[in-house]
Amino acid sequence: MINIEIDGKKLSVEPGEMIIEVADKAGIAIPRFCYHKKLSIAANCRMCLVEVENAPKPLPACATPVGEGMKVYTQSEKTIEAQKSVMEFLLINHPLDCPICDQGGECELQDVAMGYGEGVSRFTEGKRTVKDKDIGPLIATELTRCIHCTRCVRFGEEVAGIQELGAVQRGEHMKIATYIEGSVDSELSGNVIDLCPVGALTSKPFRFSARAWEMQQRPTIAPHDGVGSHLYLHVMGNQVKRVVPREAEAINETWIADRDRYSYESLHHADRVTKPLVKQEGVWKETDWSQALEVVAKQLNIIAKNDGADQIGCLASPSATLEEHYLLQKWLRALGCQNIDHRLRKTDFRVKEQAPQSAALPCEFTDVEYYDRFLLIGSYLRKDIPMLNHRVRKAVMLGAEVSVLNPVDYDFNFDVAHALISDVRLLSTQLAGILKALSANAPLFSTLPDYLRQVSPDPAQQAVADSLKAGEKVMLFLGSLALHHPEAGLLKALAEGIAKETSGELAFLHEGANAVGARLAGAMPHVGAAGSALPTPGLDAAAMTHAPRKAYVLHQIEPEWDCAYSAQTLQALEQAEFVVALNTFQSDTMLDYADVILPAAAFTETSGTYVNLAGHWQSFEGAVVPQGEARPAWKILRVLANLHDVEGFDYTASTEVRDELKQQVEESAAQSHEVAGQTDTSSLKSYSASRDNTQQGLVRLTETPLYRTDAFVRRSPALQQTTDNQRTGVRVSRQVAEQYKLDPAHPVTLQQGDYSVSLPWQVDEALPGNHVWTAGVAGLGAPFGAIELTQGKVS
Amino acid sequence: MVLKRLKHFIKSFTLWELLKGLRLTGRVLFDKKSTIQFPDETTPQSARFRGVHALRRYENGEERCIACKLCEAVCPALAITIDSDQREDGSRRTTRYDIDLFKCIYCGMCEESCPVDAIVETGIANYHFEERGENIMTKEKLLAIGDRYEKQIAADRKQDAPYR
Amino acid sequence: MITEQLFTLAWILVKILAILLPLVVVIAYTTFFERKVIGYMQVRIGPNRVGPRGFLQPWADVFKLLLKEIIVPSASNRFLFLLAPILALAPALAAWAVIPFDQQLVLANVNAGLLFLLAMTSLGVYGIVIAGWASNSKYAFLGALRSSAQIISYEIAMGIALIGVLMAAGSLNLTEIVMAQSGNLLSWYWLPLFPLFVVYWIAGVAETNRLPFDLAEGESEIVAGFHVEYAGGAFALFFLAEYANMILISVLTALLFFGGWLSPFQGIPVLEEAFAWVPGIAWLLLKSACFMFMYLWLRATFPRYRYDQVMRLGWKVFIPLTTFWIILVAVAVRLGVGPWF
Repeated sequence: MINIEIDGKKLSVEPGEMIIEVADKAGIAIPRFCYHKKLSIAANCRMCLVEVENAPKPLPACATPVGEGMKVYTQSEKTIEAQKSVMEFLLINHPLDCPICDQGGECELQDVAMGYGEGVSRFTEGKRTVKDKDIGPLIATELTRCIHCTRCVRFGEEVAGIQELGAVQRGEHMKIATYIEGSVDSELSGNVIDLCPVGALTSKPFRFSARAWEMQQRPTIAPHDGVGSHLYLHVMGNQVKRVVPREAEAINETWIADRDRYSYESLHHADRVTKPLVKQEGVWKETDWSQALEVVAKQLNIIAKNDGADQIGCLASPSATLEEHYLLQKWLRALGCQNIDHRLRKTDFRVKEQAPQSAALPCEFTDVEYYDRFLLIGSYLRKDIPMLNHRVRKAVMLGAEVSVLNPVDYDFNFDVAHALISDVRLLSTQLAGILKALSANAPLFSTLPDYLRQVSPDPAQQAVADSLKAGEKVMLFLGSLALHHPEAGLLKALAEGIAKETSGELAFLHEGANAVGARLAGAMPHVGAAGSALPTPGLDAAAMTHAPRKAYVLHQIEPEWDCAYSAQTLQALEQAEFVVALNTFQSDTMLDYADVILPAAAFTETSGTYVNLAGHWQSFEGAVVPQGEARPAWKILRVLANLHDVEGFDYTASTEVRDELKQQVEESAAQSHEVAGQTDTSSLKSYSASRDNTQQGLVRLTETPLYRTDAFVRRSPALQQTTDNQRTGVRVSRQVAEQYKLDPAHPVTLQQGDYSVSLPWQVDEALPGNHVWTAGVAGLGAPFGAIELTQGKVS
Repeated sequence: MVLKRLKHFIKSFTLWELLKGLRLTGRVLFDKKSTIQFPDETTPQSARFRGVHALRRYENGEERCIACKLCEAVCPALAITIDSDQREDGSRRTTRYDIDLFKCIYCGMCEESCPVDAIVETGIANYHFEERGENIMTKEKLLAIGDRYEKQIAADRKQDAPYR
Repeated sequence: MITEQLFTLAWILVKILAILLPLVVVIAYTTFFERKVIGYMQVRIGPNRVGPRGFLQPWADVFKLLLKEIIVPSASNRFLFLLAPILALAPALAAWAVIPFDQQLVLANVNAGLLFLLAMTSLGVYGIVIAGWASNSKYAFLGALRSSAQIISYEIAMGIALIGVLMAAGSLNLTEIVMAQSGNLLSWYWLPLFPLFVVYWIAGVAETNRLPFDLAEGESEIVAGFHVEYAGGAFALFFLAEYANMILISVLTALLFFGGWLSPFQGIPVLEEAFAWVPGIAWLLLKSACFMFMYLWLRATFPRYRYDQVMRLGWKVFIPLTTFWIILVAVAVRLGVGPWF
């Protein structure tokens, strides 16, 4: 610790800190533009010049390390004069268009100009103008306003990991531009809007629609992935006008993913259900709440009485709140129905999940940065959970090695040490190879089916094994592709085996904002709230599809997009006698299969809790009033249970629900922080029965694209226009295209059993042979099943 | 003391104060009358008079208002409501510009805050409403006033320009 | 015989009309001139829009009032409510029966004329009291209370002032009272009975509920007092009664203190002959007009009295003052102080 003095205030600080950091901590304001605590120091704006005793000239506070006995003056005449001069230079080329600038009112340049700027400019020459670039649907540019702080450039290099923006030319001619003509495609790109101290980079969907001073800032939690980024909603009237990050060092630092930033656009989508809808003799009618709820209670009662409560099935979104999951299972279980599941895209339920865990990650998000070996199994982490990917990237910057096992060579924004790109059907073989390379006699092998016991590691697998073995702290990620894989149980057991051999830890990258919470709340067929045992397990999501029920309760899902067996699920729903959908949005298909649609409030309009992957219970309040007659889903469920005369449904606030569950969780064994419950290995041998050993024929390969994860994201126009969202549709490898002599001008017909769709297609060089990429395609069968491809000559 | 009381007594008995009052009104009876006979005559009006509002246009017909919302922010009576959006040509424009004349206190701060001289208070002092809702001056109405009285508005601004 | 009686009746009717019709017209124009005069005293020009220079304004007001709906409050006593304005107006008009316009020009030359007048002017208060009570409205009731208290108070002072006049004249007959003043300007009673004249005039203003004594109406405190619930024709009757009373008081003041129809130039050698052609009624109307103007002048000048001030003035100043002067007059009459007694 050394002693310095700023404005006469004596401070004891760490050596190596910069003056501006020390001043910020002490609450002493120093104006700045280029300095940002999360970015490297550029010291190119010169706004933070301060007078330092014995220094001949003012020094930039952001780039001057503190020294023993240093005396800094931030308000001295010399400092102010220097800052005023810098300000005058900065304003030389800055246009006077604050009235039409979206940054007006929240602009750092505006603020500082109020303090240091002169009322009149001495600069009479022509101002510099820069042609605007179209850098995609998310970010609007007005580059004439740029003051060359290069925060956006540094963000791309240091955080987003792709150098899309850069400063070209120099001096007067310097400008910020994309290196390659095109859009800025990072999944974190929106953060440059917050970083930009002026109005050069602003939000395109928000453009011109409100002023900073008109909006109120209300906190909430992001509802799209397992990180649960902290957000601020900016609300004008009863409308969410934009979303900005709320600083939370342990969760999302100061960043948020574009998905969280722009999904608010869907809140006013035309599809919003604003009144309870009931289908009477095939005709939809708007009705009032009491009537709609009566219908639901009566119909479910009839079916439970006549056909048994197990004829009711419930599918809930993994992004619904903890309270909703808990009430849903409590209500249905009180009716005698155990068929409730939120693992909609999962296809393999042979290995049952053990008691629910309080987290899916073995550590805090911040700790991820300190692991030195990672194995990503079936995951496009960068696009699935961008903020977690950011942590892994930080670890890589610190020297960690990342190995990936994927069917597709995904484009990560960090260096991948070893990439195993394999046929999607052979993921388990690859893992077994790695395990074998680690330890030929691992006890797990005795429980595995024959075809895995006999593998011998190839050099690539050996390299991965060596890399993992050399690590001190190893983490294995089971990505959504592995979790939804038809051999998911096997993959999990193998990952556990590898973890054991490498003393590593296993992390599950569940989809949805509340997957951990849903497990804790008991939204699973075989285990109740807080892991309580059930007398008879119900049907899981896949079973409910394959053995159609007479009645379905759908909570915040659109089965054609959200369920693994998209076509089968729709068919089951259509055949059902009664389907009630608690949903924020309606769709044409929903109007087809549903009988009652209850308008549920959107995530901005309800209170609730999300438990993120690291096990944080993050509660939030409703920020705006629900649209129309929509109501928070937990209230709807409470009233439904009341109508069924279920006891213990006297909640008056969602916090009561949360506290009730929390108490149960604390009392139960689920409080142990062991993430990977030991897999029951006895059933692993049965996998050989379903194994397609030929590896012939085409296999369907699918994933949930970044901007198709849930109903909100799917209805956000700006996100739908991004390059990232173009990774949907049908793609085949060049090998397949040539083999089937596909004509690029005509659509192809994909067939899985009875289900077929015809879509345009394109060649994807990154795809391995025999794979048909169908991300974001509805109407087909098993996600990783065999698929047939034909191209009828359409005239 | 006694004299003072006596004086007071005499004054009140002779109704002195009242007579003084009568003298005053009696004199005023013959004074020149200051009535302005309104529809036939009007009071002289300053170029700075703050009457009903108008939105101005540039000479090429383009509306001046750029939806910066400074007038809305500065309005002490919260009489102005603006919705803004991007117009097809990419420029920032209002989609709604309402002034509630019942709320407006005609302080002129909107005009003062306007960076493009779009919102102005004209010299029009005499206007009326016949139906509920007419007190809301919409963008169309304001632009129409601006178009109709542009000459007068411009002349008034020009006259006042040296003092701004 | 019967035809003769009918003829007499008809003739009386014609005479009544001959008094009342001009009276109503005068009332109408009084309102007009009131607005004009007050306007002028307030540096305004008053009504000037209806007809040339606003001369048709009274008619516009009349038609407006007559065409408006008479609203009877639901909780009121309907009979008394409608009776009240009639009770207010009737005595105000009846009093005119004994007013002599010239030596011969009088509808009823009653010997107890002055007594009749006192009776009639006092009766008017009943209309106000009944109106205030029948309206079943708090403001109206307060107005009526104030009015009755005020009129009773000033009735006394006024009566005593008149006693002075009748003592001086030695008669209750108005014609004789006027004739008793003949001589010249100085033999009119205003000079010897000056305090009584002042008290009589002020009490007269108070009697008619005019400013500065219009506490019964008091727009700013009790809205409009007793006639707050009246509209249209019914209100017009109150209006009519008030102005009829004003004119009556003006004419009476002229008769009792200013020699009625007597020429002011009586007893002045040259001028008397020069103005001999002027009929007596003209002098009377001229003198009355002066007092009418006085009414308006007062209204334009003074603010309303406070209620306790009104009461104090009536009881503690006017009654002692008049009583004192009566005694003086009585002594003077006994001693026959010339030229008046």
